[in-house]
Amino acid sequence: MTALLAATAHVVLPKIAYHSILPVLVLLGGAAALLGVSALVRRPLDTSAVTAVTVLTALGSLSTALVQWADVRNHGPHVAIDGAIVQDGFSALIGVLVSCAVLLAALVGDSWMRREEVRGPEFQVLMLISAAGAVVMGEANDLVVVFLGLEILSIALYVLAAFDARRQQSGEAGLKYFILGSFSSAVFVYGIALTYGATGTTNLPQIADYLARNVLLHEGLLLAGIALLLVGFAFKVAAVPFHLWTPDVYQGAPTPVTGFMAAVAKAGGFAAFLRVFVSSFGLMRNDWQPAVWVVAALTLLLGAVVALVQRDVKRMLAYSSINHAGFVLIGLQAGTAKGVEGALYYLFTYTFMVIGSFAVITVVGGRGDGLHDLERYRGLARRSPWLAISFTVLLLGQAGIPFTTGFLAKLEVVSGAVSGGSTVLAVVAMVSAAIAAFFYLRVVFLMYSSGAPVVELSAAGAGPGGEVRSLSLPAGVSPSVAVEGGPAGAGGGVGTAVAEDEDEEIATIPPTATAVAISLCVGVTVIFGLWPAPLTGFAHLAQLLIH
Amino acid sequence: MIHAAFLVFLLPLAGAAVLALGGRRLGDPLAGWVGTAGVAGAFVAACVTTGGLLSRAAPARSFDQTLFTWIPVGGLNVKAALLVDPLSMTMALFVTGVSTLIHLYSIGYMRGDEDYPKFFLYLNLFVASMVILVMGDNLLFTFVGWEGVGVCSYWLIAFWFGRPSAASAGKKAFLYNRLADVGFLLAIFLVFERTGTLQYHGIFAHLGAIGPSSRTAICLLLFAAAAGKSAQLPLFPWLADAMEGPTPVSALIHAATMVTAGVYLMCRINPILHTSHPAQLVVASVGAATAFVAATIGCAQDDIKKVLAYSTVSQLGYMFLAVGTGAYEAAIFLMVAHAFFKAELFLGAGSVIHGLDDEQDLKRMGNLRRWMPLTFGTFVFGWLAIAGIPPLAGFWAKGDVLDNAWARFPVLWVVGLVTAALTAYYMSRLSALAFWGDDRWREVLARPAGATGSGGHPGHDAHPHEAPWVMGVPLVVLALLSFVGGALLLPWRPGAPLHWLAPVFGGRLYDAHLSGTTQWVLGVVDAAVAVLGVAVALPLWSRRPVHDRLEPEALKRAWFLDDVYDAVIGRPSQAAARFAATVVDVQVIDGAVNGVGRLARGAGSGLRRVQTGFVRQYALGIVVGAVALLAFMASRVW
Amino acid sequence: MAQYLPVLLLLALSTVFAALSFVASSLLAPRKRPTAAKVAPYECGIVPDVEPPQRFPVRFYLVAMIFIIFDIEIVFLYPWAVTYRELGTFGLVEVLVFAAIVFVSFVYLVSNGALDWGPAKRLRVAMGERTTESTVARVGPEGGPRAGRAA
Repeated sequence: MTALLAATAHVVLPKIAYHSILPVLVLLGGAAALLGVSALVRRPLDTSAVTAVTVLTALGSLSTALVQWADVRNHGPHVAIDGAIVQDGFSALIGVLVSCAVLLAALVGDSWMRREEVRGPEFQVLMLISAAGAVVMGEANDLVVVFLGLEILSIALYVLAAFDARRQQSGEAGLKYFILGSFSSAVFVYGIALTYGATGTTNLPQIADYLARNVLLHEGLLLAGIALLLVGFAFKVAAVPFHLWTPDVYQGAPTPVTGFMAAVAKAGGFAAFLRVFVSSFGLMRNDWQPAVWVVAALTLLLGAVVALVQRDVKRMLAYSSINHAGFVLIGLQAGTAKGVEGALYYLFTYTFMVIGSFAVITVVGGRGDGLHDLERYRGLARRSPWLAISFTVLLLGQAGIPFTTGFLAKLEVVSGAVSGGSTVLAVVAMVSAAIAAFFYLRVVFLMYSSGAPVVELSAAGAGPGGEVRSLSLPAGVSPSVAVEGGPAGAGGGVGTAVAEDEDEEIATIPPTATAVAISLCVGVTVIFGLWPAPLTGFAHLAQLLIH
Repeated sequence: MIHAAFLVFLLPLAGAAVLALGGRRLGDPLAGWVGTAGVAGAFVAACVTTGGLLSRAAPARSFDQTLFTWIPVGGLNVKAALLVDPLSMTMALFVTGVSTLIHLYSIGYMRGDEDYPKFFLYLNLFVASMVILVMGDNLLFTFVGWEGVGVCSYWLIAFWFGRPSAASAGKKAFLYNRLADVGFLLAIFLVFERTGTLQYHGIFAHLGAIGPSSRTAICLLLFAAAAGKSAQLPLFPWLADAMEGPTPVSALIHAATMVTAGVYLMCRINPILHTSHPAQLVVASVGAATAFVAATIGCAQDDIKKVLAYSTVSQLGYMFLAVGTGAYEAAIFLMVAHAFFKAELFLGAGSVIHGLDDEQDLKRMGNLRRWMPLTFGTFVFGWLAIAGIPPLAGFWAKGDVLDNAWARFPVLWVVGLVTAALTAYYMSRLSALAFWGDDRWREVLARPAGATGSGGHPGHDAHPHEAPWVMGVPLVVLALLSFVGGALLLPWRPGAPLHWLAPVFGGRLYDAHLSGTTQWVLGVVDAAVAVLGVAVALPLWSRRPVHDRLEPEALKRAWFLDDVYDAVIGRPSQAAARFAATVVDVQVIDGAVNGVGRLARGAGSGLRRVQTGFVRQYALGIVVGAVALLAFMASRVW
Repeated sequence: MAQYLPVLLLLALSTVFAALSFVASSLLAPRKRPTAAKVAPYECGIVPDVEPPQRFPVRFYLVAMIFIIFDIEIVFLYPWAVTYRELGTFGLVEVLVFAAIVFVSFVYLVSNGALDWGPAKRLRVAMGERTTESTVARVGPEGGPRAGRAA
């Protein structure tokens, strides 16, 4: 105790530059305000009011991130808050990216909440908190801060995944995500500990500095630390073989959450992943590059191949997001400034495409959020041409067709890999893209083929949980409960309503907020596909502080 | 002032955007006026820009206007930028100027068409593309315009796609052009590979990096593209079929502007072309040959627009002859003069067609000078100009080309001179058949009226009617320009307006060194040949409309070129396609694809089994992965 | 190599412990596997045709979790109280912000009735109407009428 007191006698207060964490403060402030107000008023908050506040918060953090960007452009990158936070183009870009994701997801979520008659601010509050975590990960300059961001991001996402209390799948997704996520977090912390043991610091630039100044006689400890950190990050970004949670969670979570999760968790995860590996462990490149190489190759191929056999659109896109993670890993694997640039650009374009895609799926999924069989998309073009063309654009973008942002994104990371000497990986990437094109185009083909969906499939198969057959969920949650077959969940009413609602659902008209979000996503995908200069310039300038 | 350059293509584009969004609401004829306003604005902007350019000293008359960085990928950094120099502004001026007149004319001509706004949408889009083509600062941006005009011409030729002939003519034009565009693309690749840039100035600065054979290859590849767009041998058949489009389209695209894109491109790359003599010879020879062949075909055509189409091909041949000679100024001079008189001729022909309720067959016209005095009066200027009668523009322009050819390639000069005689002959034949002779149109107008297009005038007055004023104004203006256009580059005037192009071509401009006497003699010969052609044709054809011996089947069918293509390319490729479809595709490709697909699916189904749904197994997966990584790292230590 | 010895030892030890646990449990567990009849609930001799839903009094866990939140607040407040003079205004403001955030969540919990013990008086209708059927289905899937058909 006395030793503690003696130590505390010389407290040196760090200089807190609040403006350097302003986007985080804005996001958390918005969340706290929403939560507080909702607790104080007697009636449940109006959904449009909640959405408005969320959108305003997102715009606020977007503008603060842009201010940070301008600040970095004018005054150069720097560290703040005693070296715990870094301000560089990279962090500002992640801030912009995450803010955009919140904005879009809030719009999609608004329509979803109205349709599912979910009220209250919890959905948006959790989203804002989770986004704050992602932004923290983007500007973390210390492994401990990375972990802090990771947990803020993840815990909110666990709850979001389980948010749809009516569908048992959703709860299961949340629980699975939670268990595996905490498991991987533990591994991650162990990695931090080992790294600290090897280098005597958790500060990212100091680690790099230490490695530059010292020759490690026994690098085993550090290498083990790197390996465990790699596991933690790979889990977060859903890289093979740490991806196993992804399909179940993506499928089970409410569809707007899936879109948000796919975008923000990947953005935050990769932001820290890139910074830690390229900046701090840059000198250990020869040690981690082969490992990342293998992980990237596996991720690319497995994501593309398994997506081929999926019948459920959400599950298919889950595997496709695994494939995308592989592409970003290629940029990481190159370990160069060009690779980082490519990876960032990829993340940026991917965010819009994936949120837009899941927005479309939300609409098509219908009331109860359960109609995700591929068959639902047959003839969508006739029922809702606008929706079909939007989905087509977004899918083609994901497939990397020229004149969409996806094309240039793939080109950038692959050319980064080639210039980094990883030609074989580039070939693997192109092969996987070719395989992936098949299942994207299959959906497009279905949408533009004639005929109505075979409704029996979804109507007879236990209502909203109808597609559970592909997701065999044996006693994963609690050993005594067999969940196989998707029991009605809370869907008693909804399940029987499916057949009656069929006509209404076949019309498939997106609500206004979702329509706005989809248009934004499609617009970004097409406009910056035709005119890529601003976005590539943005990614090009968004350099890491050290690399 | 010079900074107004971007408006030159933005205004027509804006017009197109307005028409695309609200064309239907604007309706007939407001949509036409909106389109015309966009193009007229572009013309004004071009004038202003040119004024700005002129206010600079002659050597400093080149200006880059960067709009935005378009594609920055690795070493490739392409800007969307405009190059403002005398050559591009000359092109821009006459493209927008002639287009304005043709737009105005179309307001009257297209009245009553159900797709009236769409027509102007395409026209505006076309003008914007054409301006991008001529003002692009790099090969790729030019290519954007190049493809833009290509697709617009496809839409416009096939505008009345209800007729099978129009639809197939559109397709034909598109295919011929696409085939030629391959040359453009290959040239772009080659240039980029050798110089690392696509910007014209950059390429010309790095000429040393391109070997002699590569230069020839680049020139010939670009010439292949130019031959497609400008309808040169052997790629010209599409232009005759393109006359299926509405007549203003024929005038705008297939006489005045688009077809000159090839000539422009060759002039633009003159620093490369100058260093490759083989390429120059090829360009000049193909040009002369095309001029002659097309002129012969023109002598035997019955469709008024087809005669004009072949005459266009022939005149374009002259331009390429000049380009190959190195007489770029002469080429541009002829291009501008040709734009005036050919537009005049087409619009005049359109007026005739309009007046005769869509009759295009020369053999069913005759004696129209009595019924359509304005059309006739203005048509005469176009006719005499293209025939090369002094002092109209055509005489000076063609004379300039031939003088240079005489000095450099005497053999080609002979071909050119013969062609000049033929030109005078077939144009006089056309005029004689249309405006002299008997009233052969009576049976046309006796038909029940209103079956086709031009509506409004039922058959009861039963004689050809003159066009409305919106169609008359362009006719008069263009007739005037055909007359005085020669003043742009009179041989004895050192300060002639077109000499302002000189800085663009610099020392690469061919200097003929002809003495005054030679020039006089050549001029007299030109004039004599022209008069001869007119003198032979006019009495011959105004007396009797049919001379079988003078219209052999070979010429009527364009030297059987279409049949040759059909036999050599069409049928074998159809057979090959059938073979590919039935044998290669089904057995080889499908087999391979299905095999790979089955493999991938098999792998997918197998891997899918890993996904059990049990959290404990997922966790095990993580552990296995982590152990593998740790093992790998351990292997790095030991 | 010597420096890794403790780590290796720990690794070995944990492996041995885990292995021992499994061995021990298999040694100590009852030999006979329970039959279905044995584990079935006894209902006066009548064979039950519907498995009785097992209700978890979830409120206990809820309160426990809420307790942790305030526990953590105390964990932070103690060190701050020890050094608040050195931390000065800055420390005060930071702790106030922290307390405010915790307070907001507390208010939220109270307003949601998370701390109301006994029968729920004012449950928020956040998830739409509850019906008997949905409630039962949520607690035990076997209880739902549809589950039987799907299984």
